[in-house]
Amino acid sequence: MHSTKHAPRVLLAKIGLDGHDRGVKVLARSFRDAGIEVIYTGLWQTCEATMHAALQEDVDVVGVSLLSAAHMTVMPEMLRFRKELGVEHIPVVLGGIVPEADYPKLEEMGVAAVFNPGSAIDDIVAKMRQLAAARPKLAIDEIKSGYEKGDPHYLARLLSAIQLEMKLDGWSPPKGNASVIGVTGSPGVGKSSFIARLGHQLRDRGKKVAVVAVDPSSPVTGGALLGDRLRMMTGSPDAGFFMRSLSSGPVQGGLGPHCREIVDALNGFGFDYILVETVGAGQSDVAVRDLTDHIMLLLMPDSGDSVQFSKAGIMEIANCFVVNKSDLVGVEATEAQLRSAVGGDRPIWRVSTIRDEGIEAVTDWAESLR
Amino acid sequence: MSIRPSVNSGQGSANKPDEKPFVGPEDLGAFDHAEALGEPGSFPFTRGPHRTMYRDRLWTMRQFAGFGSADDTNKRFKFLLEKGQTGLSTAFDLPTLMGRDSDDPLALGEVGRCGVAIACLADMRRLFDGIDLAKVSTSMTINAPAAIVLAFYIAVAKEQGVPLDQLRGTLQNDILKEFHAQNEYIFPPVPSFGLVVDTIEYCTRHMPQWNTVSISGYHIREAGSTAAEELAFTLRDGIAYADGAVNRGLAVDEFAPRLSFFFDMHNDFFEEIAKLRAARRIWAHVMRDRFRAKNERSWLLRTHCQTAGVTLTEQQPINNVVRVALQALAGVLGGTQSLHTNSMDETLALPTEEAAKVALRTQQLIAHESNVTQTVDPLAGSYFIEKLTNEIEAKAWAIIDQVDAMGGVLPAIDRGYFRRAIAESAHAQQRAIDAGQQKVIGVTDFVDDDAPSVPTLIITQETEDEQVRRLEELKATRDQAKHAAALKRIHDDAKAGVNMMPALIEGAEADATVGEMAEALKSVFGAYDGGPEW
Repeated sequence: MHSTKHAPRVLLAKIGLDGHDRGVKVLARSFRDAGIEVIYTGLWQTCEATMHAALQEDVDVVGVSLLSAAHMTVMPEMLRFRKELGVEHIPVVLGGIVPEADYPKLEEMGVAAVFNPGSAIDDIVAKMRQLAAARPKLAIDEIKSGYEKGDPHYLARLLSAIQLEMKLDGWSPPKGNASVIGVTGSPGVGKSSFIARLGHQLRDRGKKVAVVAVDPSSPVTGGALLGDRLRMMTGSPDAGFFMRSLSSGPVQGGLGPHCREIVDALNGFGFDYILVETVGAGQSDVAVRDLTDHIMLLLMPDSGDSVQFSKAGIMEIANCFVVNKSDLVGVEATEAQLRSAVGGDRPIWRVSTIRDEGIEAVTDWAESLR
Repeated sequence: MSIRPSVNSGQGSANKPDEKPFVGPEDLGAFDHAEALGEPGSFPFTRGPHRTMYRDRLWTMRQFAGFGSADDTNKRFKFLLEKGQTGLSTAFDLPTLMGRDSDDPLALGEVGRCGVAIACLADMRRLFDGIDLAKVSTSMTINAPAAIVLAFYIAVAKEQGVPLDQLRGTLQNDILKEFHAQNEYIFPPVPSFGLVVDTIEYCTRHMPQWNTVSISGYHIREAGSTAAEELAFTLRDGIAYADGAVNRGLAVDEFAPRLSFFFDMHNDFFEEIAKLRAARRIWAHVMRDRFRAKNERSWLLRTHCQTAGVTLTEQQPINNVVRVALQALAGVLGGTQSLHTNSMDETLALPTEEAAKVALRTQQLIAHESNVTQTVDPLAGSYFIEKLTNEIEAKAWAIIDQVDAMGGVLPAIDRGYFRRAIAESAHAQQRAIDAGQQKVIGVTDFVDDDAPSVPTLIITQETEDEQVRRLEELKATRDQAKHAAALKRIHDDAKAGVNMMPALIEGAEADATVGEMAEALKSVFGAYDGGPEW
């Protein structure tokens, strides 16, 4: 058994228009089962956005899955952005259909390993562990000073240091004055997509936004599939939008260890808003209340009983409500049910993230908090 | 999911340890030949959609191909027509499949690579230059932007003066499996589905010889499902399209004969044969009992099959020829109407001409040397085959019922049901391989040390540069007022919720590009982010 704090973090990425994701999905699940934390960034990504994500997540390895035969175009781009962003310590590996003749060229350009469809999962996992273990460690003083200079790379390293329980020698980040908003709701209600839209609208209004997204980890292996990031990978990468994926750790439904310190570190870095996404409704309610200034509960239509279902705990502590997926039938009924359940003094918004409708009003509310 | 088979059927395991070594009459129970099988060409069509099958007419050997620019593929089409082929099969490049123009930033390096680049009416015009659309049947493998590409085709037919009711061909147009498996979607499920129904409605009214949807299990299986999941998800998707068309006010017998299917032929030889037989039996019951179709042609499940690309290995690539031959034979013994055999080098690159020829020759060997074509459904009555057919049918019905209980395919997509099931099955197969329970010859067992030795095809960058140049020229020289008005109509019609085909045809004729029309639709429909499961 591996404890969460030692789980290697690997970012898996698909680049370009190729949608063949069987391999990357099988690998993601196998990594989880082997005790690795996997951050999957979804389809149709650019090299730049992927390396940016790797910086923010401070992963131990970046794995690129390519079945479009574009590796000799894509891999040099990946490595170019890695250099540009100053994260050359993060090894980049490649998996896919790669002719034997290209292996030496890829190695020469700096790709740490190449795997083909016949590679054994155990060998791939072993390589991930080896690369993660070989990653150079930074002294805490260097991290602190980089953080204090406002370099997002060092913010990412500080968050890792917190997770690894490195000694900060009495140092703590400066106190910030961000509005911390918890976003909760059942799985599948669309929390990540909603946060992505809200975050981007706040960015458009010149606000600096950080997101902390918590996903469950396997209680057996300590591995996790962290998939929230793939909803956030919209638009060009932007230093004013920082996202970090966390695993919930051994506590089922919890917020994850060190979530408070992570929020504090983000706060001290100067963000205006910190949006905390929980693993779903349930046990994490109380923890979210302690951590955040406001709690937003997401619901969706056609889950008539979700209002009843949620009533028990979260309904009381939520400050405001979003009925997401308002493009689906039954939105009126759900909203009416919600109004009768919570009364008239807490705001209720109707939103469709898929159509980008109704989010302005939530953004206006968020802006009014400051 | 409890109905999943206990041992994965992924790489095609026949050695299920819990199976008896042989099967007898007691395993079939009360087996009623007339009810379960009927005769070939009669209800429930288990034994085949036609009475004499390959004796009178062999399956169509339809090798899917396409490459480079519209001019390159046009030349290939003309060559094939001269050699006596009457059906053209079009593969589009990735940007076209994703509804993006050749000059889109994400298209970099992909233009004309895996198929032909068609960004606008001018491209489609060049693709069919000198080819009379009244005389050929055209199959187009396209999904998310299918309505737009069909609009280009219709516009070319109108320019040629060919009446629409003379157009023959097939559009893959199966968006549901894109959400389940292949990931070539643009808009959210509900409006995407609406576009498919638009094309069914339009073709039923104006293009009665056109096959509107090729309902596909191939991609579902390739993404990792079991055979039973492939069968069930595909047929349930078929039910969804039929429901959509009926809700649009079409009579089932008007459109159902123009629905066709597309299955994967995987490694488990008998299971694949049973799958096709069960597919026909289920669909006949669905059409007759669920939809109350009266026309016998509505009951028939007609299918295309392709051998399983996912089973091919980079290691010892010549072994792939044997895999493909076995899979192709299963398709023929299962009674397919058309067949694509993969080339041995497909895990390495696009097929070379030599590899593509061996693939076609494989079908010709089965058709002309093996003599398996002389007797219709030769395995009927085998205890084992009938038991397998019954079992896979029962599994499929259970999954169909499960999707019904979720409220249908669209709500099930919204819950991530299909993707989760497929990803879990794929993972189970990988675990079986890792644990040594499933052998892959040349990879896990009987491994050679030396590297593969087959030559591979190289594609140049010139096509892309030329295509981008042409598109830029078109964008600069077209009638801008007409173009803007056509895009506005697409937006307005989408907002109004009317059938999109007339507006898309107008857009095609105004030189709007596939990317521009997709964007206009996106401004109303929204874009899809992949749903809850990944």
